[in-house]
Amino acid sequence: MELRLGLALPTPPFDTNGSCSSSSSSSGGVGGGKKRRCFDEESRVGGGVPKTLHLLVWNTNRRDDGDEPRDLDDNSSSVVLNEEEGLVGWPPVKAWRKKLRRHNGRPNNNRIAAAKNSCGGCRASNSTYVKVKLEGNAIARKIDLSVHRSFESLTATLMRMFDISEEHQQKSFRLAYQDREGDWLLAEDVPWGTFIRSLKCIKLIRSRSC
Amino acid sequence: MQKKRAYSFPDEVLEHVFSFIQSDKDRNAVSVVCKSWYEIERWCRRKVFIGNCYAVSPKMVIKRFPEVRSIELKGKPHFADFNLVPDGWGGYVLPWIGEMAGAYPWLEEIRLKRMVVTDESLELIAKSFKNFKVLVLFSCEGFSTDGLAAIAAGCKNLSELDLRESEVDDLSGHWLTHFPETCTSLVSLNISCLGSDEVSFSALERLVGRCPNLRSLRLNRAVSLDKIANILCLAPQLVDFGTGNYTTELRPDVLSNLTAAFSSCKELKSLSGFWDVVPAYLPALYSVCSRLTSLNLSYATIHSPEIIKLVSHCSSLQCLLVLDYIEDSGLEALASSCKDLQELRVFPSDPFGVEPNVSLTEKGLVSVSLGCPKLQSVLYFCRRMTNAALVTIAQNCPNFTHFRLCIIEPKTADYMTLEPLDVGFGAIVEHCKDLRRLSLSGLLTDRVFEYIGTYAKKLEMLSVAFAGDSDLGLHHVLSGCESLRKLEIRDCPFGDKALLANAAKLETMRSLWMSSCTVSFGACKLLGQKMHRLNVEVIDETEPPCSRPKSCPVDKLYVYRSISGPRSDMPPFVWTMDEEGTILH
Repeated sequence: MELRLGLALPTPPFDTNGSCSSSSSSSGGVGGGKKRRCFDEESRVGGGVPKTLHLLVWNTNRRDDGDEPRDLDDNSSSVVLNEEEGLVGWPPVKAWRKKLRRHNGRPNNNRIAAAKNSCGGCRASNSTYVKVKLEGNAIARKIDLSVHRSFESLTATLMRMFDISEEHQQKSFRLAYQDREGDWLLAEDVPWGTFIRSLKCIKLIRSRSC
Repeated sequence: MQKKRAYSFPDEVLEHVFSFIQSDKDRNAVSVVCKSWYEIERWCRRKVFIGNCYAVSPKMVIKRFPEVRSIELKGKPHFADFNLVPDGWGGYVLPWIGEMAGAYPWLEEIRLKRMVVTDESLELIAKSFKNFKVLVLFSCEGFSTDGLAAIAAGCKNLSELDLRESEVDDLSGHWLTHFPETCTSLVSLNISCLGSDEVSFSALERLVGRCPNLRSLRLNRAVSLDKIANILCLAPQLVDFGTGNYTTELRPDVLSNLTAAFSSCKELKSLSGFWDVVPAYLPALYSVCSRLTSLNLSYATIHSPEIIKLVSHCSSLQCLLVLDYIEDSGLEALASSCKDLQELRVFPSDPFGVEPNVSLTEKGLVSVSLGCPKLQSVLYFCRRMTNAALVTIAQNCPNFTHFRLCIIEPKTADYMTLEPLDVGFGAIVEHCKDLRRLSLSGLLTDRVFEYIGTYAKKLEMLSVAFAGDSDLGLHHVLSGCESLRKLEIRDCPFGDKALLANAAKLETMRSLWMSSCTVSFGACKLLGQKMHRLNVEVIDETEPPCSRPKSCPVDKLYVYRSISGPRSDMPPFVWTMDEEGTILH
């Protein structure tokens, strides 16, 4: 299928055969590559850091646990992160329904889970996977806590997960977590045991924002 | 040239004929037959629907249709429901009311959706339209109970006041006392969205008692269960009833009074409300269940066993809204009890929870698709799905007109095969030839858009999030979906090429929303420059788009066709690209 350009920006014509086939393997590499170049160029040219978007380049060759989005630019923090939600407007539940849920209170759900378990309920609610987010990254990942026994091993895994390889970059992040009451706390302030028992989800935040 | 009138009917006859033509589409068709029909038609059009309040100006509407009695306006884009449109974006109704106050003194009905309505607008309505009858404010905001008091006091013939899902500054429940004792004309009153705990209950009771034609009454959460019996006894003719909270201390007389009150409502077909349900009081409803065609339990935190008991009495049910507490088992029961079901909406009880809190999966939806042959409209939140399930659902329900699936975690694959859900959604569009509305979720590549472009010829509205690989996806949709009117996209790798290649398509649509995609500022400028009948709005709350290189992507883009040019009420964070390539603010 060819795209005939009605309007064109001064760039080479869109070649559907080359850069944008619908088969999964090539588009991730080539199409994504083109876009990556744009961001890199701009970040070198302009003075300040350009605001970029969370372009999700889906690499279909790797499918570990079902979601591995790659963030093209770590500097962006354009998505407004709600304390409670990871993403603005997702899942698409209307604001007043969310308010309703808050009104009903989370304890409701815990009671339900407890009731279920006590009646020989259906599934284990003590899964060891927790959500982990990187500040500025739109998509959350999940990490299995049961394989970790210390902050060091957890942090090392997180750095690998988010491709933060350089030491100075690693040092600029701190580990924060949200406990069952909904409060955000710094992991470095508590012992490992307390951390593991009370955490609901984890976030890597930049030092400057504390 | 002499006008040949020998073979045409007198205007009055044509006008009479046209009065039987109610639908906008037909009216529009009539108006383009010839100049005289255009003239006659425009003088006798009584109802106008404007899907985007910025597509046309009030003056233009008034000039063409001088004798309108009923107007419907929609403001903000749909994604405003999910906080994606910043506050202050627009959608103000006051300019419309201001113009219509002078031009349409006999206006009877105003229906608004996603608009900003102020107390000033409401006061102006109450003052300007002597025969005002119907006010529907759907998902609106910006007004308080003071404005409602003005409507109550000023509109002597008010028959309908419906505030569904609006955000109202609830200053006091006393606004209800502003309905004069002479007001007996209410047919429909929906105050379910009001938040405060004070509702002037005695005023409400008196109002209900003196309006014999009241058919629809939806109370707000503040009204407690023990008061319901009284209200129902005052209005046994109700067809549609929304309870307040469904809880009170357990007392034996409450249940019996409630049961008696409900049984006396022989016309009752629709129930909603049910905040804070105490299950012990649900049996009060059993006597009316068999007549119910619509049941909204989406605020009710009751669980599967109670839901099953209730639903198994509802053999005539056509529309069910429920929380995912219903679970797969409840949906199975629904499928066997409610053979007339046409619409199902299942909402998430814990949308932000990391792990599922209920056992609601693809199986539930499959059961319903199998058991309910008349199913046409689905909204389903769940945490897992398979292509096989979607294919089965599509084959079972070729009559779907609305299919909205939300798999809560973005980019979730088919949990059995780990493949994208392209094939599943492809089956939906292929089998459901009358599909008008579709929302996608889960792991999706460009292929799903190829299916949509190929098969979804009647699709009017498409919602896309976290899907696709490249511009080809967007191109498939824009070039293939002939009936597309509204397209809303977030967090997809769609950029300039597909948009610019299909620029002309955008003029055939109401609107396009793209946020967190890769459309560059340069492309937006070009689009605005070349397409004069499109308003290309760039929304950016952090900094002006022109302070960055043209190739940088914009945060949010809203493109809509308009014959009134760029609007003049844009807030600081919205820029419009105009014909000269300059950026208006």
